Amino acid sequence: MRTLYLALKYLAVLLWSAFVIFPFLWMISTSFKTANAVTGGAKWLPWLQFEPSLSGWQSLFGGVGGINILKPYANSAIVTLSGSAIALVLGTLAAYGLSRFTFKAGPLKNGDITFFFISQRIMPPIVLAIPFFLMLRFLGLLDTLPGLILIYVAMLMPIAVWVMVDFFNSVPRGLDEMAWMDGCTPVTTFLRVILPNALPGLVVAAMFCLIFGWNDFFFAFTMTFTEVQLLPVSIVALNSSVTPWWSLSAAAIVSVAPLAVLAFVVERFLSRGGLAGAVR
Amino acid sequence: MTTKTTLRGALLATSALMISAGLAAAQDYSKYGIKEDVPGACSFASIDAKDYSGRTLNIITHAIPVIGEPTALHAQQFQELTGATVNVVHVPFGDLFQRIMIPFQTGQQAYDVLFFASLWLGDFNPYLAEVPQAYQEVSGMQSVTPTYKGVATWNGKMLNYTMDGDRHYLKYRSDVFSNPEMQALFKEKTGRDLTVPATWEEYNEVAAVFNNMDWDGDGAPNFGTAEVTKRDDLMFSAFISRVAAYAKHPDVKGGFFFDLATMEPLVNTPGWVKGLEMFVAAQASMPPGGTSFGLGDEIFSFGGGQALMSYSWDDAFIQAMQEDSPIRNKVAAAPLPGATEVWNRTTGQWDKFDTPNTAPYVTWGWSSAVASASENQDMAFDYLCFFGNEANTLADLQIGRFGVNPYREAHFDPAFYETELGWDVNTATTYTDTLKAIDGGQNQVFDLRVPGVGEFMSSLAAGVARAQSGEATAQEALDGVAAEWKAIVDRIGVDRVREAYANVVALEDK
Amino acid sequence: MYRQKYIFLLPGLLVLVAIILFPLLFTIRVSFSSWDVYNPGLNWIGGENYARLWEDARYWEALTRLSVLTVGTVLLQYTLGFALALLVWRDIIARRFFRVLFLVPMMTTPVVMSVIWRTIFHESLGPLNPILDAIGIGAQPWLSQAGHAFAAVMIVEVWQWTPFMFLLLLAGLLSLPNEPFLAARIDGAGPIRTFLSVTFPMMGAISVGAILIRLIEASKLMETVYVLTSGGPGTSTETTSYYIYIRGMRDFQIGYSASLSLTYLIVMSVALTLIAKALIRLMVKDRT
Repeated sequence: MRTLYLALKYLAVLLWSAFVIFPFLWMISTSFKTANAVTGGAKWLPWLQFEPSLSGWQSLFGGVGGINILKPYANSAIVTLSGSAIALVLGTLAAYGLSRFTFKAGPLKNGDITFFFISQRIMPPIVLAIPFFLMLRFLGLLDTLPGLILIYVAMLMPIAVWVMVDFFNSVPRGLDEMAWMDGCTPVTTFLRVILPNALPGLVVAAMFCLIFGWNDFFFAFTMTFTEVQLLPVSIVALNSSVTPWWSLSAAAIVSVAPLAVLAFVVERFLSRGGLAGAVR
Repeated sequence: MTTKTTLRGALLATSALMISAGLAAAQDYSKYGIKEDVPGACSFASIDAKDYSGRTLNIITHAIPVIGEPTALHAQQFQELTGATVNVVHVPFGDLFQRIMIPFQTGQQAYDVLFFASLWLGDFNPYLAEVPQAYQEVSGMQSVTPTYKGVATWNGKMLNYTMDGDRHYLKYRSDVFSNPEMQALFKEKTGRDLTVPATWEEYNEVAAVFNNMDWDGDGAPNFGTAEVTKRDDLMFSAFISRVAAYAKHPDVKGGFFFDLATMEPLVNTPGWVKGLEMFVAAQASMPPGGTSFGLGDEIFSFGGGQALMSYSWDDAFIQAMQEDSPIRNKVAAAPLPGATEVWNRTTGQWDKFDTPNTAPYVTWGWSSAVASASENQDMAFDYLCFFGNEANTLADLQIGRFGVNPYREAHFDPAFYETELGWDVNTATTYTDTLKAIDGGQNQVFDLRVPGVGEFMSSLAAGVARAQSGEATAQEALDGVAAEWKAIVDRIGVDRVREAYANVVALEDK
Repeated sequence: MYRQKYIFLLPGLLVLVAIILFPLLFTIRVSFSSWDVYNPGLNWIGGENYARLWEDARYWEALTRLSVLTVGTVLLQYTLGFALALLVWRDIIARRFFRVLFLVPMMTTPVVMSVIWRTIFHESLGPLNPILDAIGIGAQPWLSQAGHAFAAVMIVEVWQWTPFMFLLLLAGLLSLPNEPFLAARIDGAGPIRTFLSVTFPMMGAISVGAILIRLIEASKLMETVYVLTSGGPGTSTETTSYYIYIRGMRDFQIGYSASLSLTYLIVMSVALTLIAKALIRLMVKDRT
């Protein structure tokens, strides 16, 4: 019975692993193909089933036949990191406030304010595209990095708030109360006592902010023209009437690489018990 | 000094410069990929003589490679020759319209040069600069065929700068059609000879006979027809190709999509319904997944040798004729199939035609234009003129993925394709004959280039999709479309739509 | 002393409100206008857009469809995510490797992966159908039949976002105290009983949070549909976001799409609040 249970367990894990890996294997194989390798049925193995070519990869690094993803890569990094950082700071502060204190604005209480933050994620980006466009134009921030960062802060703060409110709610108030009794102000308590212990929550919040920020397509698409190009937008720009399966595959692999590293980092944190109590 | 005078002055000055420099000073521009520079106001030499250093030109264009790649290529060349900084933004087709429209409507001067689908002229025309007379007189523009000059004009003004010419035509595997075994097989199954389909009934029949059969001997089944069927991916154009012959009566003038006089939609008239029924019936002869093929899939399917026939833009044909294509020189072209019965809306009857009625569909293609609010119109028009100069065009025509298709008389010469591209005689001749037939043809159909064309077409596509998926009959689906079209016309304003549509009808009824 | 509480809340709140106030007000205002491709600008047409919306069957169908799709995928993601978290929680070889692997799909850019999935599901040229043929299930009309297209979209969503659930639930599992499990072992409870009486209840609060956030995110589903099926065949995979996109960006009916969006916002907010309350009551015994 026990062996059956174990076998099923490993089978399940392997099945899901296969499901996860399948698209990646296909992407890697396809990134070395050309049009002839794509027509005539699906092929997997280079040299055995088709002639591999580097044109998909070459098209990513400049030259007239493709795009140059280095600049979009850098832009994406800048915008995502800055936006996430600001969103984290503001969001964590707000979350701590909502967790420890009571606010009242008429009939609206803490729970409603938290809901207000989170509800910002409900609106589909398309809806906000034109008004944001007009707003940035009015501020002269269209097609600039600061303009995009502004939008990303609004987009990512709700995530930071959500994660950190839950996290702070699970940290016993005992610590705070001890600090207050020692004469610390709430601000000092927060900075000296709570924050250092808040690393697990911050890691999760930061991770989500980075993921959602890095992978955003729609806002970057609407708010930028020529000066600033972000990575997802420049990748999708490869999509012409003849879908270049090879370039897109290569681009997809390249764009997932940094976040895959992030996955690694987060997992280490998880395993070392660092995320204990991160999410209640 | 008005812009016009400056531009004319600039052109005259450069011509003078060129002449004074003397033909002896002809530089070698072949490093730019052209064969040889053709003298003119926008030749490599003339543009080289200009100096735009310190100035920036912003261009928006389609994704790479279709039009996107030549835009970038010529932008780079222009940059090198003139010292200007040229920025090119690439946008996938589905988003190109709003990327251009939103800045226009909100007063944001984002781009100087725009590349877009020519059918959007109805929406964009208030924001475009007229092509100055001087540029209309350059040799490159003069040699554009009248059909395509007409496409570039709106209310008597030339607003589009022609750098591409498109049409839909039939493509088929000449190796199969001329194969005696296949001919015998066809005769056996249908009792008639295998000929290039002259009507849509014949097309569907041929597709059905050769469907799910391995006629190229590679072990995998082949299929009858590859068509663009994915709802939001240009399917509306494929549908218009299928309908044109049934609904465009050569003797009934005054509108194809609408009755120009009353602005009643005609999309649910019997001619259209018949075309849709044929479109739906053809689904049985499509490859797996063929009922939701985008243009890219159609290109891979025909160009990769899977389907026997196809019809739409040049891309699939060019793909098939690539150097390394397994079906190179095994394809041929022909005008779109026609119809032996055409609906006559004035008499309310089907009229019989012994020679099938054909209605060449001069479909939309790529256009370029300069924004009227641009402060760099001189540079912008120079760029476009340079893009479309004879030398560049001849080079661009040879690279299939560029998406630049023939639009000058000189491009209809089969010798060009035989010598420069290595096409065999049959392929080249059928191709150029087809192009000439469509270009000079009577009873042409053009796209619905009115404001809100996007709405009309997406409504049409949604209706067709319903019929294709079996959700509704052809008549029901098109009745729904007609009702939606009426509502759209009401919303935009009957007179505005009629005024715009009159432009299109004028082209058709010439 | 309690004045200081505002230092915490206000910076974030004010920044957020500042950034989204204009767009929100603008959307409200434009929904009362008929801004489209030929009438740019803010005229006033009263509630005409809303009246039109009320009778717009396609919109309401999209909403229903979206609900089914969203609830379906989120439930699947939750179940699978939980199962995966339990599987790699402890007692398994190379669990660190599997944990990283299971996280990766979430890191990919959805719009780019959708293109890859389209090539995978491609019925003539993709690799999936040949594999299905080989194992005896047979090729499926993934993108050309309504039911299959719906399933294809769900598969893509499950692949992409199950890691989200997986991460949260695994983190939660890793932070559970040991005592209740020891107690259960002493009581002689087998794995299933332990799960039902110990693990699952203790994960109640996290589950609710994860499900709610996932519901919010999933309901915005647009890019996958856009790339994979264009809402087709027919309108069988058209979600509300996609429909709003068609009306707004393709047809360029800015005014009408604004009214569609606001209605959507209200409907979603109400629905989510109700779902949240129901879930909390169901899954969380005492909220700490």
